Amino acid sequence: MIHARPYLLMITAVALTGIYLFPVYWMAISAFKSGSEIFQFPPTYWPADPHNAFLEIFRERQMGRYLWNSFVIATGVSLLTLLLGAGPAYVLSHIQNRWTAIATFLVIILQVLPASLMVTPIFVAFNQVGLLDHPRMSVVLAQSAKTIPLFIVLCRATFLQIPAELRDAALVDGNSRVGAFLMIMVPLARNGLLVVSALIFMQSFGEYVYSRSLISDTALQTATVGLDVFMGPNTNDWGSIMTYATIYVAPILLVFVLLQRHIVNGLTAGALK
Amino acid sequence: MTSQHTQISIAGLDRSFGSFKALHNINLDIPRGKFVALVGPSGCGKSTLLRTIAGLGKPSSGTIRIDGNLVNDAPPRERDVAMVFQSYALYPHMTVAKNITYSLRIKRVDRATIQAKLAEAARIVGLEDLLQRYPKELSGGQRQRVAMARAIVRNPAVFLFDEPLSNLDAALRVRMRSQIRDLHDRLGATSVYVTHDQIEAMTMADIVVVMRNGVVEQIGAPLELYDRPANTFVGGFIGSPAMNFLSAKVDQLGTAATTRTGANFPFSKPLDAGRAVKIGLRPEHLSLTHGAERDNGEFELEATVAALEATGNATYADCRIGSDVLTIVLHGRPSLRPGQKIKLRAAQCDVHVFDEKSGAHL
Repeated sequence: MIHARPYLLMITAVALTGIYLFPVYWMAISAFKSGSEIFQFPPTYWPADPHNAFLEIFRERQMGRYLWNSFVIATGVSLLTLLLGAGPAYVLSHIQNRWTAIATFLVIILQVLPASLMVTPIFVAFNQVGLLDHPRMSVVLAQSAKTIPLFIVLCRATFLQIPAELRDAALVDGNSRVGAFLMIMVPLARNGLLVVSALIFMQSFGEYVYSRSLISDTALQTATVGLDVFMGPNTNDWGSIMTYATIYVAPILLVFVLLQRHIVNGLTAGALK
Repeated sequence: MTSQHTQISIAGLDRSFGSFKALHNINLDIPRGKFVALVGPSGCGKSTLLRTIAGLGKPSSGTIRIDGNLVNDAPPRERDVAMVFQSYALYPHMTVAKNITYSLRIKRVDRATIQAKLAEAARIVGLEDLLQRYPKELSGGQRQRVAMARAIVRNPAVFLFDEPLSNLDAALRVRMRSQIRDLHDRLGATSVYVTHDQIEAMTMADIVVVMRNGVVEQIGAPLELYDRPANTFVGGFIGSPAMNFLSAKVDQLGTAATTRTGANFPFSKPLDAGRAVKIGLRPEHLSLTHGAERDNGEFELEATVAALEATGNATYADCRIGSDVLTIVLHGRPSLRPGQKIKLRAAQCDVHVFDEKSGAHL
């Protein structure tokens, strides 16, 4: 009886993970199935005659270009977010009064607004100021407006774990407030800042709504938009689409697996570890 | 107002956090080169006062002058003060050497000077072998010394200490007390030292400032506070075990006070008959008498032993006089047992009389 509970919990966890990851598994094996096998009933859980068209799809669908555009946008969003978000996150963690409480609340509200709601006003505004001539930058700006609040909320928690006495010591030691932030606080929060930036990179790599609406030039479109175009309204070439999707998520999964330990540590243990 | 001899001058200082008044009308002149202890129970405002001197918080009203310059709005780096924090606040991502030299590197002092000052500071606190370690690899006592070295290397006009010994074990604390005082004497700087431990304040400081609820209760030399406490709070706070207090009424002659149960305490300065007072008598000023003759100016009390606490070299005894309980300190190990009737004696000049209501010394 004593050992039954952890055992049950383990089974539950594995089952839930299985359900959660099933689409990923289905995507990956479908990429190796033939067209007829995909539509076969009952379905096969392992491709009977595995073949793949990764290289063909990659070339044919110009995935190099799409992935590059996604990479450029995700990098831009991450850097801009890190640059603009670290300061506010620190301020909101170390100055606590009525005004910063209101500011924190507003930041959380900002993050709640969905992209599909924001995209029309953003399109109109960007069009008027001529930002749409730089479509990838437009997407970086629009997406950053969503990720910066998230960054602030998460990194605020990181900064909260750094004792305020360290800042005081730096001030008494002769540093300015900005100096204390850059020389003491940022290095100590480094892990947390980098982990949240990595999460935001992965999120932005999969950004769709803004890329779809703000980028009209095919040469500048992202992998998510490329996938959508590929699917089209009447397609039935699921094998190729799954191949595309698998190639697309591979770098994100790779990054996540490589950083997995840091991400879990960074989100729980904090900056001083 | 500030003379050549005053290093820090604080006048009419208030500090509030919202509706909470952390400091109320603080007036304090700290002479150059003196060791001043701010002491009081937790929450009395002593750390807030120290941080305000450091520039880590602004006064709500009143003035702070350092060397005659008004520094109310000056950031810490313009004040020439160094501070040792309770948690030591060592930078975890820097080695001991980098921690110590941080202030010099900010000021862009040249490398040779930094090396020389680092070597000197490390020698003074005995850290030469640990310079390349990180704070997490050090013991509590070593961290404390790094924090000291970080302050020393600056060669500041004023040292500020915020309970620097409270995280050390008892034996090390006693050793560090004399080391810090020794350092103060050698460096000749002014020191302001915050502690909740009255023994630390008494043994280290030239001047002790007793605070409670954001108010300065008394300023004076250690023994002055012990001999002439300004009120019941200071009387009870300074000295260990704490002063005994008994409610009493001044008798007809005005030269003694009688408790509700009839114990009589004579005192030297006559007071109005019938006045309600509090009698203060230190445990160490009471001793056992064996019915023999007593000296001039001494008086006797009859008591019953209620409880005994032996510490080895001294015994603390709680004695009942009527409904009041007095603690006394006896040397050695007297053969007493609870319930035993004893006679105590004390000198008239050791009886403190306070006003019952205000608590002020009369």
